[in-house]
Amino acid sequence: MSTGEAHKPPPYMLVWVGLFALTIMEVLIATVTSIPKIWLVIGLMAMAFYKAYLVAVYYMHLKWEPKRLWLLVSVPIPLIMILIFVVLNEIF
Amino acid sequence: MSTIEQEMAHAAKGGHHDHHELPFIRKYIFSTDHKMIAKQFMFVSLFFLVIGGLLATMMRWQLGWPSEPMPGGMMLPDAMMAPTPDGAIMLPEFYNSLVTMHGTIMIFFAIMPLLVGLFGNLLIPLQIGAEDMAFPRLNMISFWLAVPAGILMLSSFAVEGGAAGAGWTSYAPLSASGEWTGVYLGQQLWLVSLTILGFSSLVGAVNYITTVINMRAPGMTWFRMPLATWALFVTAILILLAIPILAGALIMLLFDQTLGTGFFRPEVGGEPLLWQHLFWFFGHPEVYILILPAMGIASEVLSNRARKPIFGYHSMVLAIISIGFLGWIVWGHHMFMSGMNPLLGTSFMISTMAIAVPSAIKTFNWLATVWKGDLHLDSPMLYALAFVSMFIIGGLSGIFMASTPVDIYIHDTYFIVAHIHYVLFGGSLFAIFAGITFWYPKMFGRMMNETLNKVHFALTFVFYNLVFWPMHNLGLQGMMRRIYDFTQYDYLAPLQPMNQFISIFVFLLVASQSVYAFNFFWSLFKGERAGNNPWDSNTLEWTVPSPPPHGNFPEMPVVYRGPYEYSSPESDTDFYPQTQPPPSKPSVQALIPEPVTPTPEGF
Amino acid sequence: MTTQAMTAGRAPMPGMKVYNLKLGMWIFLLSEVMFFTGLIGSYVILRFAHPEQFAEPGQVLNINLTAFNTFLLICSSVTMVKAYAAIQQGDQQGLKNWLLATIVIGASFVGVQVYEYIALAGEGFVPIADAYHAVGRHMPHDGPAIGGQLYGSTFYTMTGFHGTHVSIGVLCLCFTYWRAAKGAYTADSLGGVEIMGLYWHFVDLVWIILFTIVYLI
Repeated sequence: MSTGEAHKPPPYMLVWVGLFALTIMEVLIATVTSIPKIWLVIGLMAMAFYKAYLVAVYYMHLKWEPKRLWLLVSVPIPLIMILIFVVLNEIF
Repeated sequence: MSTIEQEMAHAAKGGHHDHHELPFIRKYIFSTDHKMIAKQFMFVSLFFLVIGGLLATMMRWQLGWPSEPMPGGMMLPDAMMAPTPDGAIMLPEFYNSLVTMHGTIMIFFAIMPLLVGLFGNLLIPLQIGAEDMAFPRLNMISFWLAVPAGILMLSSFAVEGGAAGAGWTSYAPLSASGEWTGVYLGQQLWLVSLTILGFSSLVGAVNYITTVINMRAPGMTWFRMPLATWALFVTAILILLAIPILAGALIMLLFDQTLGTGFFRPEVGGEPLLWQHLFWFFGHPEVYILILPAMGIASEVLSNRARKPIFGYHSMVLAIISIGFLGWIVWGHHMFMSGMNPLLGTSFMISTMAIAVPSAIKTFNWLATVWKGDLHLDSPMLYALAFVSMFIIGGLSGIFMASTPVDIYIHDTYFIVAHIHYVLFGGSLFAIFAGITFWYPKMFGRMMNETLNKVHFALTFVFYNLVFWPMHNLGLQGMMRRIYDFTQYDYLAPLQPMNQFISIFVFLLVASQSVYAFNFFWSLFKGERAGNNPWDSNTLEWTVPSPPPHGNFPEMPVVYRGPYEYSSPESDTDFYPQTQPPPSKPSVQALIPEPVTPTPEGF
Repeated sequence: MTTQAMTAGRAPMPGMKVYNLKLGMWIFLLSEVMFFTGLIGSYVILRFAHPEQFAEPGQVLNINLTAFNTFLLICSSVTMVKAYAAIQQGDQQGLKNWLLATIVIGASFVGVQVYEYIALAGEGFVPIADAYHAVGRHMPHDGPAIGGQLYGSTFYTMTGFHGTHVSIGVLCLCFTYWRAAKGAYTADSLGGVEIMGLYWHFVDLVWIILFTIVYLI
């Protein structure tokens, strides 16, 4: 039942350091550098989603959950993509 | 509040799974028993069904005899009716409220709670062999959130400006500001009520999904689950993912109305089209929320009353799942007339037509199920057969709307009204009649009167078709829906006789429902006593007494086979219950560990 | 809650091998994902449709303050997961201490957000379309308004709903703390702490996305 018991303790502090570093990087990229907007958006979104992934996988223990739960959790993702894609397509 | 404390104190004493009599308020009002909650949902939503029907009769009076005094109209307040010496004439604003509230009440407070609240609660635990829902207290909260939502919705008739009048779709900017409809507080109550109801459905959906995934009895594999449970499971997933989108949109619209934000108000830069997208991104899954459980119920009844296995069980399941998925990528077909990128419109047209494939698979499977079956044409079967035939008509007229060129012609006409009523009344409501009649003995321990049911079926089926079939013609001749007085247009004035024809049969249709209502209440007390299994059915709910005791199953059932093994050569009778072990093999019961007494879930 | 309650007596049966309470929380979080998709999606769509109504990062919103707030929320996530790790080892005192830390940091997040709102409203950045006149942080106060009405509407709706979720989370954390103080959780029975953590990390996850989309892009 206790997910971590059979494994070595999950790297909670390491993940925290990673989240912290990524946040600092994001703020610096957004405020200090002057790269083209499109790359800025792609880069920042990639970093944000990676951070979200870290939280979900380590802090929410998805890493130690059965694969069926992964399947369940991934159900909304295509729906989100469809909604945003189609409506954006509409606006232009 | 106090009941939860009572329950916690009760649980603390270690008194679970006991069979002593609960106090009245815990047994009948704040009950956590899924069967009682199902009955509560049934009574409340049947009440709303009656309200919705009465609203429809008032609308039909105005359409049949435009601007003539309505009989009994003097009883309604002046905000709804304009009094004249001859009687009271309906006001256009009130007509708008009637259109809106008829749609809202029927969809959100009648059909949806009947299908999901009643059958979801009643069937899921019984059919999978669970003693109750995964979260019984959340289940109670789900019902008790739906009640205030309903009260708020009804109370909006009494407030200044009347009830919401922007249609059940509440398109912005019409709904975003009271200056267009003259409805201020009523529209806001509508939004708040639906948000609360959405939360209620959401809580229910979490419960259903968890229950189906985790609480199945030993041996109840995914592909041994009855189709009704399958359909309710997929429906719960649709509710879970679609309702939050609606809730977000409703809240934004409420902010536009009350705080003066500008999401959907074009005068400050908002996007009315965004409302349509959000609404229909919820709204099309909602369509399948309203029909999938009906399909499941029909599958149960058809297979049982034809005494044949359902044809193509696996393809039925896959059809349910693929309808559930395809339902998410078709919402644009509601918006062909809103102005749409033609490429996108074509994609939506194709994806919509793709839904015809799983729907047709289901239809042909039903036909193959009853083909050469040992048909028992009693009332549940008649309702179920009516469901299939009406669903075919409604499905075919749906293809008209899916094709953009045709839709541009018939959009916003009575053709659409005919279509939605063929799938929602002819489809969902007939399946609800089938389901209530079929599971009535399980709910109340008594059978409904068969003769009265057949009378009700015959009257409803005939009147229903006489009402809604001519609406196709009205639509093709250009009569727009939601119109207060079509005779103001010269080209529509000749349609008045047909409208009067429809109105007369609407009155008869509504009146003939009293047969069912009478039968329902009469059978509660005078109906013939039913045994455990009056329909000789295979599924688990028929292995327990009618009505099932608290905790449902005296001992944990073990499932050996699929739910539809009727007329099996392996069985002595023409049915083969899911719990009956295969004859030659040793009982698996011995291999199953003693079930641990379940305890209620809590925080 | 006992071990039996967590497995609900059905563990060897068909099922997810995830106890009911946790599965239910995950399913509920899926609907939360869709809720925030509706809100954030509306913002993205409105912003693409009406770029002139929105401001560049840092013009109106205070990035440094919010970056600090993000840091707070990430810290509260790690204290929450530490609380869970403590009770996994049966460490009652550790559970209570880390939960208390989470409550304090979570409440600070809400406090900073309220401060941010007050400061922004003082600059004329309000959700109400008719009263909108945002002047921005580096602009003279008599300059033209930055962005448009949609900016305020979307900003306050998104961050407000997130803040509401954090506030509800803090209240639930207090409840969890109260239960922990009574010794309700043990190494075998920690479902309440775990689902509390799931909710709390989800709120953090949403903020990570929200911070990037609203403040940085």
